[in-house]
Amino acid sequence: MKVREIITQCVYYLVLVLLVIFFLFPFLFMISKSFMSDYDLIASPPLLFPQEFTIRNYFNLFDSEMIGWLGNTLYVFCFNAFFVTFSSSLSAFAFTKLDFKIKKIVFPVMMSTVMIPGIVTSIPLYVLYNNMNWRNTLFPLTIPSIFGGGAMTVFLFMQFMRGISREIDNAAKIDGAGPFRRYLQICMPLCKSIIIFQVVSVFNGVWNDYMGPIMYLDERSKYTLGLGIYYRFLQQTDLGFGANDGAKMAAGVVFSIPAAIVFFVFQKRLVDGIMIGGIKG
Amino acid sequence: MKRERRVRTAAYWKIAIKKELIGLLFLLPLICGIAVFSVYPILQSLYYSFFKYDMMNTFEFVGLDNYIRIFTVDFKDVSKSMYITLLYTVISIPINLTLSYSLALLLNKKTKNINVFRLLIYAPVIIPPIASSLLWVDIFSYDGIINRFLNILGIGSLNWLKSEDTALFTMIVMNLWGLGGGMILWLSAFKNIPETLYEAARIDGAGRARIIFRITVPLTTPMIFYNLLTAIIGSLQMFSSYLIASDTNGRGPNDSLYFYCVRIFNEAFSKFNMGYASALAWILFLVIGVLTVIMFKTGGWVQFGEDN
Repeated sequence: MKVREIITQCVYYLVLVLLVIFFLFPFLFMISKSFMSDYDLIASPPLLFPQEFTIRNYFNLFDSEMIGWLGNTLYVFCFNAFFVTFSSSLSAFAFTKLDFKIKKIVFPVMMSTVMIPGIVTSIPLYVLYNNMNWRNTLFPLTIPSIFGGGAMTVFLFMQFMRGISREIDNAAKIDGAGPFRRYLQICMPLCKSIIIFQVVSVFNGVWNDYMGPIMYLDERSKYTLGLGIYYRFLQQTDLGFGANDGAKMAAGVVFSIPAAIVFFVFQKRLVDGIMIGGIKG
Repeated sequence: MKRERRVRTAAYWKIAIKKELIGLLFLLPLICGIAVFSVYPILQSLYYSFFKYDMMNTFEFVGLDNYIRIFTVDFKDVSKSMYITLLYTVISIPINLTLSYSLALLLNKKTKNINVFRLLIYAPVIIPPIASSLLWVDIFSYDGIINRFLNILGIGSLNWLKSEDTALFTMIVMNLWGLGGGMILWLSAFKNIPETLYEAARIDGAGRARIIFRITVPLTTPMIFYNLLTAIIGSLQMFSSYLIASDTNGRGPNDSLYFYCVRIFNEAFSKFNMGYASALAWILFLVIGVLTVIMFKTGGWVQFGEDN
């Protein structure tokens, strides 16, 4: 009996390890290939590990332009992180902690916007931004965030705020604190963990976004980092910049690192958040 | 029992109105956002869909012409995109749902280090699409590493993304690395199943398979249905071939990866057929609308309700 148990345990963990190898293999290979020399890269059949280890692919990656692109991405992130958190928590506070009738109309309307495919709204918005001369500015990527950052963001905030006991809020109310004061001084400090989750989600959204930048940014100096990498390494329409496969992999690795760090630092909160968001949509 | 009639004095109304106004003030950004970024564009795109509009000189009313074109003159092209999108949906969703569900079952243990495995399996999901596309294009190239493995196994080389016969299949295979995302959702659904049910079943001598099919699956059926519908809705909006086949603007070899949304995108933002693209987009919107209504009716959205 004991032996059988040990064997099943071993088989179980063996299966898990094989699965992990399967899931991580492409990404480990990306890292491995990013360290290959030109000679290794053209080897036939292709190599799994570099024979001549080199970090040249990484050196060729960075130039001043890229730093500018990173700056654009970070600007969009900071702007959106602040405004998405602010305005979506404001709405969530109203939905969960304030007592008024109009929210009964606004809430279902907000939830039904979830089903609108982005591609449908993108066409008139493109025309709108174009008429406002917002092409080749970062406005199309930032300004919408002032208005809430989407129904799911508000909904996640609401889920969290429902968990905050009414007692503290009521006490503040009796002491004569107005609604805005209750929001800012009572509710917000208690929302720290969901705020972190939202900021991290905004980061992922901005970092991973490519559709918005592709649509609105043509001028090189206005690119976000993702868009620069897209033109330079994926579509390779960036003239005068020949990237070999090693440089492509290095770009992929460098571009993944911030996302990976953010994920592993905040993984507990992220997974919890995904789960809340998952059950509720 | 006699109920006293509530007297609604001027003071009552004053307070009530003040409450509404304060609430409205809090919701102001959201309401503006819904108006400008949802309601306006959805109506405007319906309006555009009856026009021929190229953002330059032409803006002429054509009635239902755009819609008629989609189903007559252009139907051969458009239906190909519809077919690819549907084929992809029909094949990849059952595969993804069953495999991610099985993964979740496998990792649904309470041992100490299970979280490490969960995280590592989830890890591919966090790689930015641009980075992972660089990788997929590389490892699925003709002299890439996947073909090398196949050669070692004696299968021979495939053309993967560069042949119209295998391109869609390759995208389905690539998506397997995203199974961790689904797995996390199932694991959270399993968390809500009371432990006592399992204990009772175990005491009654139910085997592992029996427990899965008699307890876990039935109790997660609403979630299965909900995930199925969101997966379909997501899959109809498939856009990632735009990155994977970026050399052909997302069309793939001989249009074999030309998903419906990629077609809308190209019609609108490279050819600037704004009216025509809006008509295509509205057809998609209607289909997704119907699916969402099904979701509402079947109770998947019950969970979205307000508490009070």
